[in-house]
Amino acid sequence: MEPPLSPTIEPLITAFNLMKGPLLNSLIFTGAAMILSCLLGSINGYILTKIRFKGSNTIFLLFSIGIFLPYQAVLVPLVLTMSRLGLYNNIAGLILVHTTYGITITTLLFRNFYGLIPNSLIMAAKTDGAGTWTIYRRVVLPLSLLPFVVAGVLQFTSIWNDFLFGVVLARGAEALPASVQLANLKGTTEVTWNIQMAGTLWYALPVLIIYIIMGKYLIRGYMAGAIKG
Amino acid sequence: MVSITIKNLTKTYGNTIAVKDLNLQIKDKEFFVFLGPSGCGKTTTLFAIAGLVEVDAGEIWIGDELVTSVEQGIHKPPREREISMVFQDYAIYPHMTVFDNIAFPLQIRKTDKHEIEERVKKTAELLGISQLLNRKPRQLSGGQRQRVALGRAMVRRPKVFLMDEPLANLDAKLRVQTRTELKKLQLELGVTTVYVTHDQVEAMTMADRIMVQRDGITEQIGTPDELYNHPSNLFVAGFIGSPEMNFMDCALVEEKKGLCLDAKEFKIFLPSKVSSELRSFIGKQVIMGIRPENIYESKSVEANTMENAVKMTLDLIEPVGPFLLLHLRAGRISLVATVKDTRASAGQEVIMEMDLSKIHLFDKKTTKAIV
Repeated sequence: MEPPLSPTIEPLITAFNLMKGPLLNSLIFTGAAMILSCLLGSINGYILTKIRFKGSNTIFLLFSIGIFLPYQAVLVPLVLTMSRLGLYNNIAGLILVHTTYGITITTLLFRNFYGLIPNSLIMAAKTDGAGTWTIYRRVVLPLSLLPFVVAGVLQFTSIWNDFLFGVVLARGAEALPASVQLANLKGTTEVTWNIQMAGTLWYALPVLIIYIIMGKYLIRGYMAGAIKG
Repeated sequence: MVSITIKNLTKTYGNTIAVKDLNLQIKDKEFFVFLGPSGCGKTTTLFAIAGLVEVDAGEIWIGDELVTSVEQGIHKPPREREISMVFQDYAIYPHMTVFDNIAFPLQIRKTDKHEIEERVKKTAELLGISQLLNRKPRQLSGGQRQRVALGRAMVRRPKVFLMDEPLANLDAKLRVQTRTELKKLQLELGVTTVYVTHDQVEAMTMADRIMVQRDGITEQIGTPDELYNHPSNLFVAGFIGSPEMNFMDCALVEEKKGLCLDAKEFKIFLPSKVSSELRSFIGKQVIMGIRPENIYESKSVEANTMENAVKMTLDLIEPVGPFLLLHLRAGRISLVATVKDTRASAGQEVIMEMDLSKIHLFDKKTTKAIV
């Protein structure tokens, strides 16, 4: 073993140029789908725990079943539906698909967290004069930082890492996700390993940053409910 | 004038009846207490007044406004009823400062900012929490949190206060102290108050009138004095008062000397003047009740010389500070008496006298009081 004879960052630059478009695509649809699925999951969780209506348990059961639905099982109808909606090869399409798929798990997360918020808090807000939406905005939402971080990180990682939906729904350059482009970096007959590895580094960076920023909240979030707040 | 009128109120949860056919009139400025063991329907009734639960039948009027009517399909949400509520766990908003907690009901109603500030400060002053306005709830003690909850209820100047066991989570000393303050505050503000508790001491000390509930059914409504001295049935007699009233099964028989309660172990002769209702129970089984403070040690040495005296064995003496609890036994009958002092010691035989003007008689079948 000896140190590199001519150290260079050339492959990093080459890889970045190849990856920057898809990375931007990925950032857009991952960010949007993360925020949307968390918001919807939060509203679902609030309604399922604090409003209670006939059939709310059944609806929650259906949501939970959604978590176990394998991607592959819905692939064909998904592609057909998306192309009929005109969302094939479209970032909006990826946002829609990832949001829909994400709602199941975020609903579960938020529902469990909101189960810890005492009902008397909601009743107090009601007698103080707040309506359903005001209670969500003024009382429930401000108390939801932890589940938003947990669900957010979870959603970001899983959407960012998704390959299957990306490769099936967005093959063209306009919506190409970074995960698919990373696979495209290796040629059909040979692999330029330095560029491949540099691309991997760029691809891993956003997730790394998210974890570094959110790390401390994440641990608190995982522990939430373990200790009485 | 804010009275509360409840007509034929019924609420069931599945197969359990929480409240059954309740009729009640709470007067203006009254401190009214719902008292009963847990699961008796008192909180459900309170929530029905607040509009937090939808009822199955009946009507509720707050003042001259009909707020709930199943027949007419009226169910006004809590925000349209001029009530405010204090919860057992205080339910103050953990993410807001004390100021914002108290201001919340006003902010929701879009009250003018200066007015909010003025009213919050005034309320905080009244409750002695002015120095806490910038703190978060987690930095407060239980007693302080309780005051914040009260402040939030008061700041809106509602027509009715609803309180769901607001003192239950405080420690014993603070509870007694807050009890007095709360009662004073209510007198000062003159707001009609409905207060739920399972603690009969709380009910007796604070209430103008009390409703005793059990299993969704009203057992008795009356002033603390009425409930204590004239309980209308066995349940109320046993529930109100600490230590509890003594009960014993007796047969009501007529002897030469007059009417007599025969408890097998001993006989007690009733005064010659008795009501005609009591006469109708001659030959039947009744339950006699007597409060511990109405049994006292006799100066006489012979039980047979008096009609209200009983010879009993003193099992145990419990000193409780201002008085002694004597645990007495005669055969299968045990009694508790509260006395100031005793010459006897545990294990001895003593002659106990009962104040015959203070005994309560109940029909054994219906458990209703016999007048």
